[in-house]
Amino acid sequence: MEEQKHILDTLKQVRDAVQSKDYIKIKQLSNKFVHHCSIQQDADIISVAVIIYSLSKMLEREDYKKEKNWKQFYNDYLRTIKNMVIALENNNHEKFHNEIKLNRKLLSKLSGNLKENMKDVFNRAKINKASRIYEHGISMEKTAKILGITLWELAEYSGRTGVGNVNLGVTMQLDDRIKLAEEIFR
Amino acid sequence: MKYLIFDAGPLINFSMNGLLDSFEKLKQTFKGEFLITKEVKKEIIDHPKTVKRFELGAIRLEQLYNKGVFRLADINQEEVDELRRLRDNFLQKANSMFKTKKREVHLLDKGECAALALSTILKRKNNEDIPLVIDERTTRILCENPKNLKKLMEKKLHTSIKANTSSYDLFKGFKIIRSTELAYMIHKKGLFKLDHPKAFEAIVYGLKFKGCSISEKEVQALSRM
Repeated sequence: MEEQKHILDTLKQVRDAVQSKDYIKIKQLSNKFVHHCSIQQDADIISVAVIIYSLSKMLEREDYKKEKNWKQFYNDYLRTIKNMVIALENNNHEKFHNEIKLNRKLLSKLSGNLKENMKDVFNRAKINKASRIYEHGISMEKTAKILGITLWELAEYSGRTGVGNVNLGVTMQLDDRIKLAEEIFR
Repeated sequence: MKYLIFDAGPLINFSMNGLLDSFEKLKQTFKGEFLITKEVKKEIIDHPKTVKRFELGAIRLEQLYNKGVFRLADINQEEVDELRRLRDNFLQKANSMFKTKKREVHLLDKGECAALALSTILKRKNNEDIPLVIDERTTRILCENPKNLKKLMEKKLHTSIKANTSSYDLFKGFKIIRSTELAYMIHKKGLFKLDHPKAFEAIVYGLKFKGCSISEKEVQALSRM
């Protein structure tokens, strides 16, 4: 119940942030939502995080808005988010799940540049969320599987983040690890 | 016979950095076998071969696999069954080790646990430690200092975590190096083709930026060695 409330609150805040054109807030909400994704590891919750982050990325770019079908796509996208809010307010989990599915299907209705660009936005959003979940202590393989991306994509992206620099990640002195490597290859 | 077990990360890393030639040369100096599990093969060859962006890297790895530079562990049916059993036990214990107020946090997946299981089986068979090469952070911290993983998760998740400390011992004692230590050995043996004063440092950074969990301080220290 508490989890549902959190998802609902987040989606409501996203809806409001879209209205006030506060795009930075949308990204922040998506990042905060990662705590939930890391713990729950539930497909719908993770999809919501990807949907929110993708929205923030779409709104950052002006060039998408010049595309022919942008307006229709964007309105449909926002409608699914509004419907997710309504579904959760009514405790209608099936409808909530269906709206997530509908959101995913919007991509298939697109064509040309917009389709390719939006595909790219969604894929990058998945990799970004995966990298965040990995930062939270979930293994790389587990995270890649949860988000449906390859280990190659995750390794490439997470390597550019500060994940290796966290002090708690240093669990053996470098000299000792080098000694171990030397022993292995003796 | 000596063995070195590879998780998917280091092999992906060497492939993405174009270092597989030197990896092959390193194998020639190793008096034993480089091993992978079926799960790792799927992650480094079978699946990426179907993704255009990573197909080339996967083909390069497949070539080394076909040449026997690294191979699947040669274990009998009884040992395969045991590997599955141990893998599932590692999985169950890792994924119930840390709990938030409401639920257990699932940490590892089959591939990582299968590598630990294979090391366990071969250790028993050979009566000596069978080291692993792992680039990703979680499995390594879980084996070397699970308390740090608990602290890290509490900090990142902004919630208190209850640990089932009785599972800590199961993950103790694994010997782990990373792709950066492998690179150090290649460098020390003079097997890198690049002849440039900054080449080794650049290689270590390359490995860090493709997923090896190593701190900036460690990179600096390693580059000076």
